[in-house]
Order: sequence, then C-alpha cells, then structure tokens
Amino acid sequence: MIEVRNLSKYYGSRCAVDKISFSVAEGEIVGFLGPNGAGKTTTIRVLTCFHPADDGQASVAGHDVFQKSMDVRKHVGYLPESVPLYPEMRVREYLQFRGKIRGLGRAERDAAIGRVTQRCWLSEVIDRPIGQLSKGYRQRVGLADALIHNPKVLILDEPTVGLDPGQVRETRSLIRELAQDHTVMLSSHILPEVEATCKRIIIINRGRIVASGTTAELRERVAGDHNTLAEIRGPKDGVEAGLRAITGVTDVRSEQRDGWLRVSIATRNDVREAVFQAAMKNGWSIRELRREGASLEDFFVKIVASAAAQATE
Amino acid sequence: MRNTIAIMQRELLSLFCSPIGYIVISGFLLITGVIVLMTKSFSPGQPATLAAFFYLTPFVLTIIVPAITMRAISDEYRSGTIETLMTAPVSDAQLVVGKFLASLVFYVIMIAATLIYPILISMFGRADWGAAASSYVGLLLMGATFIAFGVMASSLTRNQVVAWIAGAVPLLLLAWLAYYMIPQVSGALRTVFQEVNVMGRFEAMTKGAISLSSAVFFVGGAVLFLFIATKIVESKRWR
Repeated sequence: MIEVRNLSKYYGSRCAVDKISFSVAEGEIVGFLGPNGAGKTTTIRVLTCFHPADDGQASVAGHDVFQKSMDVRKHVGYLPESVPLYPEMRVREYLQFRGKIRGLGRAERDAAIGRVTQRCWLSEVIDRPIGQLSKGYRQRVGLADALIHNPKVLILDEPTVGLDPGQVRETRSLIRELAQDHTVMLSSHILPEVEATCKRIIIINRGRIVASGTTAELRERVAGDHNTLAEIRGPKDGVEAGLRAITGVTDVRSEQRDGWLRVSIATRNDVREAVFQAAMKNGWSIRELRREGASLEDFFVKIVASAAAQATE
Repeated sequence: MRNTIAIMQRELLSLFCSPIGYIVISGFLLITGVIVLMTKSFSPGQPATLAAFFYLTPFVLTIIVPAITMRAISDEYRSGTIETLMTAPVSDAQLVVGKFLASLVFYVIMIAATLIYPILISMFGRADWGAAASSYVGLLLMGATFIAFGVMASSLTRNQVVAWIAGAVPLLLLAWLAYYMIPQVSGALRTVFQEVNVMGRFEAMTKGAISLSSAVFFVGGAVLFLFIATKIVESKRWR
C-alpha cells in the first residue's frame, strides 16, 4: 500500500529525511516512532503529497506521489499533527465541505457524514461551531474528516497528542477498529502508544530508520539482556550457587530485603521452571518469580541515544 | 469546478461569519456615503450625476478590496488548514480561483449596496442610467482586477496585515501614479502610463465608454494575477 525507496528531503541544507526505505502492506497497521524532530512529519508530508521530496521514490495505493499526486490524495485520509480546522464553521458544515472537495455527491455525502459522526462519536456536537469544541472533540472532527471518503490508506500524525488519558484510550481503540478496514500508518514519539495500537513499528531517528519489525521481533532483539526476578527465602550463598548451576544462567545477583532474598538472574532463556525445581529440591520458599518483560522502552531510548552519540562523534 | 465552488462557498461562509466582512462593508459604505454627501451630489441645482462618487471610489477600493482578500489564502497558511486542503484532491488553481470568486461575490454584494445612490438621484432628477450602468460594469471589471491582485498578495504571507499592505500599497500606486504622471512625462513612458492607467480607463467607463481594450486590460490583469498567485501557492510547497 505504501512503498518508499531512498526518500530524501532537505530543508535548506539541513537533511530532514535521509534515504529512507520502507513499505507497508495492505491491511497493516504500522507505527512510525521517533523522537521529536526525527523526520516523521516530513516523511508523512511527502506521502500525503503536501511537500515534494528531493530524492527517491514513494508511492501510496499504487500511485506515485510525485507523478500521480491527485490519485494518491483521493485514496489517503490524513490527520495532520496540529489538526487544522476552521473554527468559524460548524462540524456538519465542515464535514459537508470536506465531502464536497472529496468528490462525494449529496446523497453519498450525507451517508458518509452519518457514518463518520457515529464512528467518531460526534453526534452530540455535530451542530456546534468547531471553535467551541474541546481538544478531544477537535481531534475526532479531524479523524472524521480523514475517514469521510472511506480511504484505503489512513495516515495519522500524532493522533493522540494533547488528549486526556480517557480520550487517548478511546482514540487508540478507534484506530485499532479502523485498522480492520483501512491500512493505517500512525506516527508517535511515545512508545507505549505505538505498542498499544500497532502490529509493526518503524523507528526513525535523525532522518534514518534505525530499527523496524513487529513488536515481537523488536522484543526478541532486546531479549538478550533480560532478567528473571525471584524472591526466595533461603541461605544467600546456597541460593546463589544453586541458581548459578542452572543451565543458561549467566549471572546471579541478590540482596537481602525484609527476610527475603531478592534475586536477579541474568539469562538468555526462560529459567523459571528450573528455578522452581531448584527451590523445591533445596527446600527454599518462593514468593515471587517472574520474567522481567523485555522493555521496548529501554530499547527505544537506547537506540535513540546511540544514534545521537554516533552523530556527535 | 465542483471543488472551486466548494471552496468559494466555504470562503463566503467564513467572510460572513467573521466580523471583518461586516467591518469592511460598513467602512466602505460609510466612506462612500461621506463622499456623496461632501461632494454635494444631492444639492439643488446640481446635475443629477454621481460623477464625484465614481471619481473617488477607485481610491477607496484600493484600500477596501485588499481588506476583503487579505485573509483569503494567508489565513489558510496561518491556521494550517492549507495542509488539509493541499492533501485533498484540490489543485492549487482551484484553490486560488475559489478564493477569488468568493471575494468577487462579496465585492458584488458590497457594490450592490451603493445602488441606493443612483436610485435616490433618479428620484430628484433625470438620472443618466446608461452612464450609471457602464460605471457599474467598470466597477465590476476594475474590482475583479483589484481582487485578483489582493488574492495574490494574500498568497505571499501568513500574516493578514502584511497581505493587506502588500495589496493596498501597489494598488494605490497603480491607481494614482499613472493617472497623474501622464501629463508629466512624454515618449515611451507616457505610452506605458497610458496603457496601465487604471483610473483613466475607469473614468472613460463612467462616461459610458466601455472599450474592448479596457475590458481586456482588466480581465487580463485579473487572470495574470491569479496565475501568479497559483504559482506562489505552488512554490510554498517547496520552501
């Protein structure tokens, strides 16, 4: 659905996007993750035909964004980061206008407005001026606008920024729902956001793609460093020695805390059962045993930090 | 075409929703009203003509028309709505022409309100309806050029005040300069000034003479300015 090959974009002499390539298949929901200023919005603006790129190719829904800009625009629903709207218009007037320039006839338009107001929970405010709406409602109006022509591809730039936690949750579930009928690409600088909604993540930093894959694949890449945590009651030396004997364990550290030994076991594989067996055999008690979830957050921070370090070298 | 009309309708809605539209209309009517009053067009014994009104109106319009058009495109830049427009299947030309038509409709409504003067004149004497009609055709043609110029000025900047000044100052010069410079110069320069003499061309129309060259001058000017505006909007994508 979205194909990007060696895309570059400069603002003056500053390189905003540096030869990036990626693709998004039909029906996928992909998160575009990166810190502020990484080039997310620039890439999105190229894909939505707002800015032309300086080099490389990009196509959306089978049409080249440079040569067949109008065809691309017909198939893309786009929610810009700032959610620009006309404050003096009423929601219905705005959606009517957007439907018209999307080429929908009167009957189609009315049906589409009914559909998107229901989908984006706008029926309460449909006749209110947009200028009076809260940030959350404005976001929904923007989303309704992006959906009005039932586009094949939905591109959302920071769709939950500035919303309260309840609205964030609502918007996320709406996006997940939308992913059933549309190919979705959303950008964010918040990892849990992307993790919660997307099947696949593309991490971008300083105009380059630094990692991409499904959430599981990315987890796999960080799995090497992960820990198993246990709280065991038993002799410190005995416990440490007993745990070190388990295959796959590379390091064991423990500290005493209110009568229990808090043990951190560095391992490559899942050793929870082996730990339990060892405890049974030696007569230790266990009150906690868990695999510390490989944190994508740490991974993200690390990637961004290492890229930043490389850049300053 | 449908896109152009949709943009025009939306723009008109905004013009009539914002106070600026009413301020402009009332400002224009106030100034022209004062002109009609001060030039003693209604004094007894005077000929039943609005010559003074039509003589001064172009100067008023050089200030008023850019005030109508100043927000046309610059407000789209400022509010960021240009992004949603330019990523919808709307061409740059459709955007510019839609904005132009909306301002033109607004202008026609504003000008139509001044029809009260010839109507009043005709109550007191025998009005020259032919001259009045050709004057209004002149106002329409000249207004179209001014509006196109104002839309072009508006496409340059995201700041409405800058758009207003960038529209009004050159128009004011255009209206005044050539008109008063013609007797001062000679040779090729005089020919140039005679050709671009907006006031002179309009003045001829107030006397009932609508020449093809003037019609082409005003319409051509409007087309040229709209074309430039389209190119400016296009170039903004590349910054």
